[in-house]
Amino acid sequence: MTAPAGTRVEILAEVPALGRSFARGAAGSAVDAARRTLPGAPGGLALPEVAYRVEHVATDLPDVAARLAAYRRVVGEPPPTGPVDHLPAGFLHVLGFPVATALMVRGDFPLPLVGLVHLANAVTLTRPVALGETLRVTAWAENLRPHRRGVQVDLVTEVATSGETAYRGVSTYLAKGFTLPDDVTAAASSGTDDRRETFVAPVPTARWRLDAGTGRAYGAVSGDRNPIHTSALGAKAFGFRRAIAHGMYTAARALAEVGPARGDAYDWSVEFATPVLLPGTVDVAITRGPAGFDYVGWDARHGRPHLTGTVTPRA
Amino acid sequence: MAPRNPAQPSPTPGQPTGGLRDAVIVGGNRVPFARAGGKYSRSSNQELFTAALEGLVARFGLQGERIGEVVGGAVLKHSRDFNLVRESVLGSSLSPQTPAYDLQQACATGLEAVVTIANKIRLGQVESGIAGGTDTVSDAPIAVSEGLRRALLEASHAKSAGARVKAFTKVRPKDLAPLTPSTDEPRTGLSMGEHQAITTARWGITREAQDALALASHQHLAAAWDSGFFDDLVTPHRGLVRDQNLRADTSLEKLGGLKPVFGTRLETAPTMTAGNSTPLTDGASAVLLASREWAAQRNLPVLARVVDAETAAVDYVHGHEGLLMAPAHAVPRLLARQGLGLEDFDFYEIHEAFASTVLTTLAAWEDDEYCRTELGLDGALGSIDRERLNVNGSSVAAGHPFAATGGRIVATAAKLVAARAAQTGRPARALISVCAAGGLGVAAVVESAGGVEPTATTTTTSTETEA
Repeated sequence: MTAPAGTRVEILAEVPALGRSFARGAAGSAVDAARRTLPGAPGGLALPEVAYRVEHVATDLPDVAARLAAYRRVVGEPPPTGPVDHLPAGFLHVLGFPVATALMVRGDFPLPLVGLVHLANAVTLTRPVALGETLRVTAWAENLRPHRRGVQVDLVTEVATSGETAYRGVSTYLAKGFTLPDDVTAAASSGTDDRRETFVAPVPTARWRLDAGTGRAYGAVSGDRNPIHTSALGAKAFGFRRAIAHGMYTAARALAEVGPARGDAYDWSVEFATPVLLPGTVDVAITRGPAGFDYVGWDARHGRPHLTGTVTPRA
Repeated sequence: MAPRNPAQPSPTPGQPTGGLRDAVIVGGNRVPFARAGGKYSRSSNQELFTAALEGLVARFGLQGERIGEVVGGAVLKHSRDFNLVRESVLGSSLSPQTPAYDLQQACATGLEAVVTIANKIRLGQVESGIAGGTDTVSDAPIAVSEGLRRALLEASHAKSAGARVKAFTKVRPKDLAPLTPSTDEPRTGLSMGEHQAITTARWGITREAQDALALASHQHLAAAWDSGFFDDLVTPHRGLVRDQNLRADTSLEKLGGLKPVFGTRLETAPTMTAGNSTPLTDGASAVLLASREWAAQRNLPVLARVVDAETAAVDYVHGHEGLLMAPAHAVPRLLARQGLGLEDFDFYEIHEAFASTVLTTLAAWEDDEYCRTELGLDGALGSIDRERLNVNGSSVAAGHPFAATGGRIVATAAKLVAARAAQTGRPARALISVCAAGGLGVAAVVESAGGVEPTATTTTTSTETEA
């Protein structure tokens, strides 16, 4: 584990239920939201120096296999082709997500779960994890830092098998409107995001037609049934015209469409630019570069990028 | 980036024709091609293919004949049609002892069927064969949604009434909507037209060039019909006597007035319209092949021989190559094996999936850089004499019932080279290429083989080309 020095590991008996975390997160968010109006308050914003760990997450259970099969159907991952069934990195993200979420709904986590924006995700899969292996899942928060629209934080999830880390995922979230006490100037001067103005659509290699049920389908296999993804009404409550696709669904689909060339171990990163409204059409370019694959998903009608990322095989 | 495996023109492994006898093309037959929802809207694949077979039987007196093998297929195929070709044979007046099998290689189905039959004839495994294909968009199979399909399967495996009922509780209203076949590539979600629009833009093919090629296709096809060229290649069916899509009176003005339909989401201006693309079409075709002996015994004509063929596939999934560019790769490999140059042909039959498919292929062969990096050649493959291209029209005008196109082209090319040879007293040769979904493409060479120069072999032709 590579958590910041001083981090205390707290062992959880089992993977926390996402539903309970969401309920708790919703209640706690109102309290957190009140805090943002007090930048520079004594104590300011600080992350809990705690990592959550579940020592034994079994994957040799029929329901994990069934969920894996459903996950593959939803994101377009091919079925296993050999005797050993390697878990796609996106599925490891899904398995670790409840542990990270439990950390984010702790009373001393400074940002509200509700309204957090997933900005980016970076995964390193150093060696393949097979279905049936017992996983040790550890999650913590680190690197609280300013963003021009608020405060961002990294939630790190590590998955180890046989005592050795195989997967490390870093999910970067933005809490809009928050300010760090000692970083007011840095936040204000971090420049404007001119990505939208300069975006030039590449030549597409694929097109995704996402139906209105895409958020519900990925919600069912990931457990992330946030209403902004599963219902138009739920999305409206948060200011979106329609339901929006899970960012990780789009990234997982890009990872799947890189195909067998990604190998058994790879780095997989994504940055999210604008949400994908459902139903919707995403033009996609997945292209081979010198080191690996680059991918871009965009809205061809409005010339706006949705996501960009890379998949790089590890030698 | 550089391709991982630049396609090297294969050196000839031994003498490909050495020791093998000729497979000759006796003739062909097809039904006129109909626009989707047109004259054949109530015709099945089996009906259309049987009609194509029966026309061939009538033309060459094959009633009761046991043919060595009938090979063909359909691209849009219902699961009940698992033995489509055999069932068509049983419904024809060929001997019921004629074996058959189905073959499918998307739009290259018909041409690949010709190649496979020709190979068996050349190996001496069969004396005769019929190759062909059929497709109907009007009578395409409709599938149920994945949700309903799973429920139906689960229910059929259920052991109790309760379990059967439970299987259906998972069905959602949206699962009841039927799925119709599409021309989308499974791995990319882009339609064939969208893929070709990308290739068209990459090669900078203009709207004007595409419309001009489309116009030529209609004019050539109309002239061929008017001259009676198709009189012994087509049998009317269900009241249709000519290809329904043919617009003899079209013009550059009319074609130029059409709105682009593909590539409208690209950054470059769209150029591909319904007029310079092939329409969805219904139809079927069949080609009779044989050994020279078999044809002679029955006093049947010999139009041409199948010299050689090459199939290529390209890496289109992540945009390295255009979806329909495989023939650009297949042809130089085929030419290298035969010791032929691109200019050594009297006729070029390049399937017009879209007018721009032909133009991007020709542009690729003229591009020095592309030919070196992608095709592994020393330089540009060369140019063709456009006067020899699709001289009797092609798919933009005739339509393109996917699996039926290969048979249409092979029969046309065989008749063309036979006529040219008869006219000039010298062998004539045609190059055929057909692109297909999945980044596939098949190329073939046919050469006149009638009474003119029965001993024409690869050896003599390569000597000529070297001269």
